[in-house]
Amino acid sequence: MIRFKNVSKLYPPNVVGLDCVSLHVQPGEFVSIVGKSGTGKSTLAKLLFAEERPTRGVIEIGGWDITHIHDRDIPLLRRQIGVVFQDFKLLQKKTVYENVAFALQVAGVFPRRIREVVPQVLDIVNLGNKLARYPKQLSGGEQQRVAIARALVHSPKMLIADEPTGNLDTLNSREIMDLLKKINEFGTTIVLVTHDREMVNRLRRRVITLEDGKIISDVEEGRYKL
Amino acid sequence: MFVSSYRVTKFALQNFWRNFWLSLITLSMLLLTLFTINLLLVLNVVTDRAIALVEDRVELSVYFYDSTQETTLSSAVAYLRGLSQVRDVEIISADEAYQQFIQRHTDDAQIMASLQELGENPFGPTLVIKADQVGDFEMIIDALDNPQFRDSIREKDFSDYQSIVERIQSITDRIQVFVIILALVFLFIACLIVFNTVRIGIFIHRDEIAIMRLVGANNWFIKAPFLLEMVLVSFIAVGITIAMIYPALILIEPQVDVYFGSQSAGLFEYFTQNGLLIFGGEFLALVIITFVSTGMAMKKYLKV
Ligand SMILES: Nc1ncnc2c1ncn2[C@@H]1O[C@H](COP(=O)(O)OP(=O)(O)O)[C@@H](O)[C@H]1O
Ligand SMILES: [Mg+2]
Repeated sequence: MIRFKNVSKLYPPNVVGLDCVSLHVQPGEFVSIVGKSGTGKSTLAKLLFAEERPTRGVIEIGGWDITHIHDRDIPLLRRQIGVVFQDFKLLQKKTVYENVAFALQVAGVFPRRIREVVPQVLDIVNLGNKLARYPKQLSGGEQQRVAIARALVHSPKMLIADEPTGNLDTLNSREIMDLLKKINEFGTTIVLVTHDREMVNRLRRRVITLEDGKIISDVEEGRYKL
Repeated sequence: MFVSSYRVTKFALQNFWRNFWLSLITLSMLLLTLFTINLLLVLNVVTDRAIALVEDRVELSVYFYDSTQETTLSSAVAYLRGLSQVRDVEIISADEAYQQFIQRHTDDAQIMASLQELGENPFGPTLVIKADQVGDFEMIIDALDNPQFRDSIREKDFSDYQSIVERIQSITDRIQVFVIILALVFLFIACLIVFNTVRIGIFIHRDEIAIMRLVGANNWFIKAPFLLEMVLVSFIAVGITIAMIYPALILIEPQVDVYFGSQSAGLFEYFTQNGLLIFGGEFLALVIITFVSTGMAMKKYLKV
């Protein structure tokens, strides 16, 4: 699913984001990327959905070499990858339903299909009864679930979550983690960036640890060290 | 495609309303630009008509000696009328020339006195020739060098309308240069304002645009609303111009026509006959110009 070959990312002038990282993720895996702040976790995530281009190395997603992906092909890539962030990135002036529908609208999907898909994914994240609410009227956990629903709307092969529980309390965080596990069980590859020790330890899945832009450990069914 | 067009249109209209004051400024600037351009057109039409009118009056006077035989004169007239370049030949007899001269100088005591002194009519018959085009006179003057009557010709006088035409031309040229510069300045300001409107539009919608990118919106879907908004503004600007220019012409025309004597300056006629070309062209030009400015703003601030 994901293949990094000696990938480095330098930010101008010469800040090291990632330093010669190689890794391989199988389809259907649930991988956690952990490490201290500033060690390149978000950089790795951004390279996956082509928000940043690598300075050196090769990146393949599902057999597609996106190392030098053309701007006009990025939308195509993004529809195969769902992304969620710590700050949810919801549109405050749109309802839950509209926020999720927006992702389909801007891809030119027909209204009938939108009316079909949006309630389905909102059911998956357990928000089928809050379609007309605005983000402000939801808890943090609920907002993150809207963001996840939006990420799922194109039935992506991969979901990237950069600190999805960073703004949430333990209870809400657990809910989100359970949701991610559920999505993973449906077959979606999940890349979870986090520094939440408890969440990772409860998962018992593959853990990749970064330090100063390098992979310092990569273990199946790992635990959060440090 | 149809679905997307609908959504893009909706976004464009939203842009327009959310940025209402900015849109209004853009619109005003485009209107000013259109106003100066149309003023230029009006000026052109009026100048052309004025010059045509003056050229219409250009004539060549051929003075014959008072001893000239009637037959020589009529053969000259016949010969001239036979030339294709000649539109009209008017014959002024010696007596008529004398009367006209007296009439013209009746207030000038000195001239009248010297005329008195002469005692007899010093004038010969005169032919007044009008040509189809001003340029034809040279050819007609050459043609007058005919052995049949060239020795009877005392003088040829090419009425000095050429200098009037040149004067009109130089005045209007100067006005035109000024209006063109004005139009260019307005156009440049319009471009800056469009650029800025788009920049602010991108800023206002930055969250939406970031999310659009994140969820894989087509690039043109992000760009199209900005472009469409400019098409809309251009369309409204041309629409308002059309709605204002025809009533304005109806008001102005009679006042301009005064200077053209019995003839009309033909402004209204010109704008009705070429309306589609003029306003279609202006719309197209605005769209192209606003597209370029919008494109530059998007390139700089949208990074799609
Ligand atoms: N856009 C950027 N420009 C310059 N430096 C950046 C940029 N983004 C990240 N960095 C730097 O790259 C390093 C890794 O950042 P990041 O991947 O965000 O770390 P993490 O997500 O693990 O906290 C840090 O030193 C950070 O300051
Ligand atoms: Mg980070």
